[in-house]
Amino acid sequence: MIQASLLNKSFRIHKKQPGFIGALGNFFNREYHSKPAVVDFEVTVRPGEVIGLLGPNGAGKTTLMKMFTGIIVPSAGELKVLGQTPHLRSREFRKQIALVMGQKSQLWWDLPALDSFLLLQKYYEIPKADFKRRLDELSTLLGVIDLLEVHVRKLSLGERMKLELMSCLLHEPKILFLDEPTIGLDLVAQRNIRAFLARYQKEKGTTLILTSHYMADVEALCQRLVLILGGKKRFDGKIEDFEQILGNNKIVAYDFDRPLSTEDPVLAPFAPVWNEDRTRVELTIPALQLRELSQKILKDYPVVDFHTEKLPIERVMTQLMDRPELL
Amino acid sequence: MGSRIKQYLSIYGSFFSTSFSAAMSFRGHFVLLILMDLVFYYTHLVSIDILYDHIQTIGIWDRQQLLFFASVMLAINQISMTLVSENYWIFPLSIRTGELDFSLIKPVNAVFLSFFRIIRPGSLINVCFTGPAVVYFGLQVGLSPLAWVCLPFAVVGGFLLQNAIEMFLSCAMFWMMDGTGINFIRVELQQLARWPDFVYPRLLRSSLTLVLPVLLIGSGPVRFLLDPTDGWPLVWLVGFLGLFWLLLGFFWRLGLKAYESASS
Amino acid sequence: MNPKALWSLYLPKWGATMQVAWSNLLVYRLNFLLSAIAPLVVFLVVKLSLWYRVYEGAPSALVGGFTFSQMATYHLWVFLTSLLVFNGNATKISEDIRMGKITSYLIYPFSLWEFHGATFLARTLVQLGIAATTLTGVWAFLSGQVHFPEPHTLALGLLLTLMAAGFWFWANYLVGLIGFWMEETWTLMVMLQILAYFLSGSLIPLSFYPPWLQGLLNYTPFPAIAYLPARVLMGESAGVIQALWVLGFWNLGAALLAQLVWKKGLRLYTAAGM
Repeated sequence: MIQASLLNKSFRIHKKQPGFIGALGNFFNREYHSKPAVVDFEVTVRPGEVIGLLGPNGAGKTTLMKMFTGIIVPSAGELKVLGQTPHLRSREFRKQIALVMGQKSQLWWDLPALDSFLLLQKYYEIPKADFKRRLDELSTLLGVIDLLEVHVRKLSLGERMKLELMSCLLHEPKILFLDEPTIGLDLVAQRNIRAFLARYQKEKGTTLILTSHYMADVEALCQRLVLILGGKKRFDGKIEDFEQILGNNKIVAYDFDRPLSTEDPVLAPFAPVWNEDRTRVELTIPALQLRELSQKILKDYPVVDFHTEKLPIERVMTQLMDRPELL
Repeated sequence: MGSRIKQYLSIYGSFFSTSFSAAMSFRGHFVLLILMDLVFYYTHLVSIDILYDHIQTIGIWDRQQLLFFASVMLAINQISMTLVSENYWIFPLSIRTGELDFSLIKPVNAVFLSFFRIIRPGSLINVCFTGPAVVYFGLQVGLSPLAWVCLPFAVVGGFLLQNAIEMFLSCAMFWMMDGTGINFIRVELQQLARWPDFVYPRLLRSSLTLVLPVLLIGSGPVRFLLDPTDGWPLVWLVGFLGLFWLLLGFFWRLGLKAYESASS
Repeated sequence: MNPKALWSLYLPKWGATMQVAWSNLLVYRLNFLLSAIAPLVVFLVVKLSLWYRVYEGAPSALVGGFTFSQMATYHLWVFLTSLLVFNGNATKISEDIRMGKITSYLIYPFSLWEFHGATFLARTLVQLGIAATTLTGVWAFLSGQVHFPEPHTLALGLLLTLMAAGFWFWANYLVGLIGFWMEETWTLMVMLQILAYFLSGSLIPLSFYPPWLQGLLNYTPFPAIAYLPARVLMGESAGVIQALWVLGFWNLGAALLAQLVWKKGLRLYTAAGM
């Protein structure tokens, strides 16, 4: 599906000193720097895979997506998507892909979404019967039947995002690129979008490439993760492997009904992190000792509540973003 | 080929209907757009009229001839306003915001999507002003039957050349941080073209006829209409139309290579 | 509050805003030249070419009471006054309103008109510099042929122009505020611009116009944008006192109207909960 080797992209930027003098200097003499955005990137994606591209802001995720979709031209390297070179933008190629950008809209702002859809039907030459069937299917699945004829500018972000998604699926692309599809959405809307994508992908077997800052998106959808830091690929593998990348420890938090001593010798070996009131501690416990230690704490301490972390990948991501040298 | 043309025609039909519905939701703006053009057309013609109250001829043309030329230019302007003008202003924005991405991944020609998507249905109504103006001044200057037949083609030819040049220039927006500057150049070129070629000093005239041929847009066809033995400007017009069409294709592809797509 | 305290209260805010305006002007270096200067230069080229041809066909070498050299001088002055007057940015105000960006001005201790006023002032100063340079250049090149005005005439011409600029600022600001009621206001601004070109005598001196129109225009601020200051600078100051009164009236009226419209619009804005 996607085959990239030694892919590179660098951008030209220029710098400006603040204020009037800076502006004046900039007017006459502008310094340009070349900033590498993606460096020697390699990846192979098989049909039907769901891949999460992770990385902090500016890591190069979006740049990669834009090279995959043929929007920008790589500076160097080999790239084939669906057997084609994306930036040559053949019609065949463009008919088989779709891109959803959470921060941008392809729907006409001043018109109902249905008008945009009808236009897309013509762009992609979708036969009338197919178009109607897909429109019904998708709008039922997304619960947006009543929104099709509402002006897009009157919709909430969550509603608009569903329609954006729909607009990208009307031509049943073979690969769907999703660039932060849930950004800015409330929790329920996020969950709905995720559930829809998971279900749609299962039914159609579409290849999904997703970037997101919400680890819940990644957890719910992706089987495989690709981590990018500073334009370079730093991890590529299964989610479970990623969770254990920094060791096979579990993080468990316990709440107590009264303040305890922070010097407790039983807890000390497990890197305890206490809260201000000393009523809550977070421990890092090796997987093998989890049962034993938990039983002991529950029995011996005044525990009122306890929980394990919900999203281990989130912790791993945070740590890696803080200290990339851990990898 | 036939089916491709049919597809593009049906897309263009959709552009028309979507532009129309979008325009309808802003009634005030819709009316003001019409008025704005009318104020412009009217003041332009009146200025020429006032000028001729004090003189007999400018260069080779008398009042009626210059007014005929002006009305042809306004007709070309009106067609441009209706069919393309809005897109020139949207285009640099779509480069800066990265909205162009969406056009690039569609299986439709991106030049077509970029420059023909938005139509100003309101400006279409102004044909009620420019049309009769052209006919009225055409009668005043006594156009020959051949000239009457050629008139519509002359207007369309001028329109095509103007926009081939302007789209070509717009390709420069790919390399600029804020491409709206090109739009100001476009507007200035239109201002230059709005007066007959013979008013300009020789050097300026020949560069605006033979290098960046904006003076051919109106002066070419109108010279021919006024004197059908003077056909050369028309030949030049067609030649440059082809040339700029090719240049547009070339620089568009070059521009896409340089396009960096705004990061979100 | 004593004047000094007021001064120290407002100066830093206005100063900082003007600095930002300058940076913005210069960041888009080409656009600034193309949008602010080029149109006037091209207009000047068109006009000089056109008038040159006009005089070629005029046997008496006198059209509407002007010789060609007088006409050329007239258009040079019009170029400079236009440089000073047309500095508005109404579309920006409307955009701010539409995008909800003015909300910050409801919270800042700095009002929207002050922000745009400072921006306008910054632009005017830049344009004044360009005008002065142009003037010096023209004077140096054509010192024998162009009559350079006396200092007090220059001051009077500048005063007229700056008052016209003040009016143009308020007109711009008002049109911008219409953004409270309408999605797009640039059409209004363009229309006003076209009318201003026509009614100020930018292409053809107003003395060419029918007398009834000239009489009417004397009660509007338009002649002060081009015709009047150009005539003053060419040494003819008839009707200037009346023009100053008319301009003062329009400036005051537009400023008061702007405050009123701002209040009305704001009520609408906050009521819509944007």
